[in-house]
Amino acid sequence: MELRRYIIRRLYQVAVIFFVILTVLFLLFRLAPGDPVSRMVDPDMTPEEAELLISELGLDKPLWIQYVYFVKNFFTGNFGHSFNYGQPVVSIILDRLPNTIILFTTSVILAALVGVFFGKIASWEKGSKKDVWMTIVALASHTVFVPWLALILIWIFAYKLGWFPITGMISEEVWLDPDSGPLAKLLDIIYHMILPLTTLFLIHFGSYLLIMRTSMLETLNEDYILTARAKGLTEKVVRNHHAAPNAALPVVTTVGLNLAFSINGGALTETVFTWPGIGRELVFSVSNNDYPLAQACFLLIALVVLVANLVVDIIYAFLDPRIRY
Amino acid sequence: MDKRIPKKHARAKRLLSGWAVFRDNLLGKIGLVFLTVFALMAIGSFIPPHIDPMYHPMTGVDPQIYDSTGPSLKHWLGTDFMGRDIFSQLLAGARIAFMVGVSAAFMSIFLGTIIGMISGYMGRWTDTLLMRIADIFMVLPVLLVILILASLFGQLNIWIIVFIISIFKWPGVARVIRAQTLSLKERPFIDAARVVGASHLRIIFRHIMPNVLPLSFLYMTFMVTYAIIVEAALAFLGFGDPGTVSWGMMLQWVWKTGHMFKAPYWLLPPGLCISLITLSFYMLGRAMDDVLDPRLRKEKTVV
Repeated sequence: MELRRYIIRRLYQVAVIFFVILTVLFLLFRLAPGDPVSRMVDPDMTPEEAELLISELGLDKPLWIQYVYFVKNFFTGNFGHSFNYGQPVVSIILDRLPNTIILFTTSVILAALVGVFFGKIASWEKGSKKDVWMTIVALASHTVFVPWLALILIWIFAYKLGWFPITGMISEEVWLDPDSGPLAKLLDIIYHMILPLTTLFLIHFGSYLLIMRTSMLETLNEDYILTARAKGLTEKVVRNHHAAPNAALPVVTTVGLNLAFSINGGALTETVFTWPGIGRELVFSVSNNDYPLAQACFLLIALVVLVANLVVDIIYAFLDPRIRY
Repeated sequence: MDKRIPKKHARAKRLLSGWAVFRDNLLGKIGLVFLTVFALMAIGSFIPPHIDPMYHPMTGVDPQIYDSTGPSLKHWLGTDFMGRDIFSQLLAGARIAFMVGVSAAFMSIFLGTIIGMISGYMGRWTDTLLMRIADIFMVLPVLLVILILASLFGQLNIWIIVFIISIFKWPGVARVIRAQTLSLKERPFIDAARVVGASHLRIIFRHIMPNVLPLSFLYMTFMVTYAIIVEAALAFLGFGDPGTVSWGMMLQWVWKTGHMFKAPYWLLPPGLCISLITLSFYMLGRAMDDVLDPRLRKEKTVV
């Protein structure tokens, strides 16, 4: 019951935050120098098409009606036409979104599992050589400059060793060949995914390790650890069954808090590997003055971050009853 | 006069004991050494253009070179695609990194400390309002926000970039300072000040601020790393200030001009510098955290 009230309160907060973001973006769009119409309407369109789009987006109406149109268009998925692709923005986004989700979630989950595992070991042997080295590796992984790491990985594994493709997500010869079945296509995607996945894994796992390590060290001071030891349980049982599950809780929150920061890294990785995801599309559309597409990508990413934060909070509230006050 | 001397002694003693904790922290020391090297690089960046105009990081072109060349005696790290000296660009990049990192960090801890103190001290709707605003800034990825702003407003100047970074980074500081202020507010000395008739502003700035400032400065080192990374990433994507030579810009040049496979001497140094400077600031921050921690722990158990 209390959990439900908590979720409703958080949902309401998320909705308010999203409306503020939507409104600020709308105002900035009008404040920016230049003509708002030319920013939304493709210069290659015929006057009739342009006329239609302008009335669809409400750009010929007074400001407050434009705002109503803007909000309505957002919720009905009408973002206008992309200049570069000549297609409705929404179809491009729906095409790119799965690619980003596959790459991002796989890497974050892997990094969290590996990070938590090594963080547990590092904290258990605090001050040992093993701990110092693990901490150094984790710090380096946390602070390495993402696009540079991606370029170095491409240079070594794709160029020097030739093990992996340099960029992209699919090879045309596999996908255009009528003989290749779904398995061959899937393997082709995995083959292209390994390097970007490694990049994202490497930049994330360090922070999970560090958080787990700190959290474990704090947990080890708790009374119930002393109790467990006094009961004569083996060190391994104390570590894996008494300390680690409790220490892993803050890691859940950190996934949410770090999300905004790791999305930056995700966009950079996608761009360097030309992985056809939302992040790369945003960078690409901004470089090419494709405002309708850029705006939609941005709003979508903001929405995803908000929803993901909400989900993380709910999971946390579910795991730790103390915070559902 | 007499009263002041023991106070000074106490402060010196505290500094010394803090230094003793810091000295035991291996990673902190490594960070400090690296940062010293980077600072020397930043200072040294003014020298090459005076030796010969061809060493100017932005406009200096070696007249005998038309494409990127490897390291030589004349150009220690080689030259870029226009025949500009990579080593002097690397030095200039250190200057930009410090400039961006320190100014953005300073601005964000300034904002974060003041907003955090006001939020924690005033409480009620002021607190709710400020913290909700903080939430909005916290969920947005700064890099993508700057990209969308660049698409609306065109090329952004380096100081505007610094300003936007600090606008998006204060909430982290504000939350910590707010939590600290909440516990300080309940202390007797604040009540005492209130009874004497001190105004809210006076209590915030004279009584609370000195107690939260060490924490703010601890956060400064972490803010520096964020600011440097965001600026470098922006420059790498081609949205940096075209009037500056930063490490991110150098990486963008090597990537966009297709030299990345041919010129490892050009690809490696800028990225290594960005990674090392952020790593050093981060390690320094952790070491300072260690120095401050015992005192904070005690306060936590008191409350």
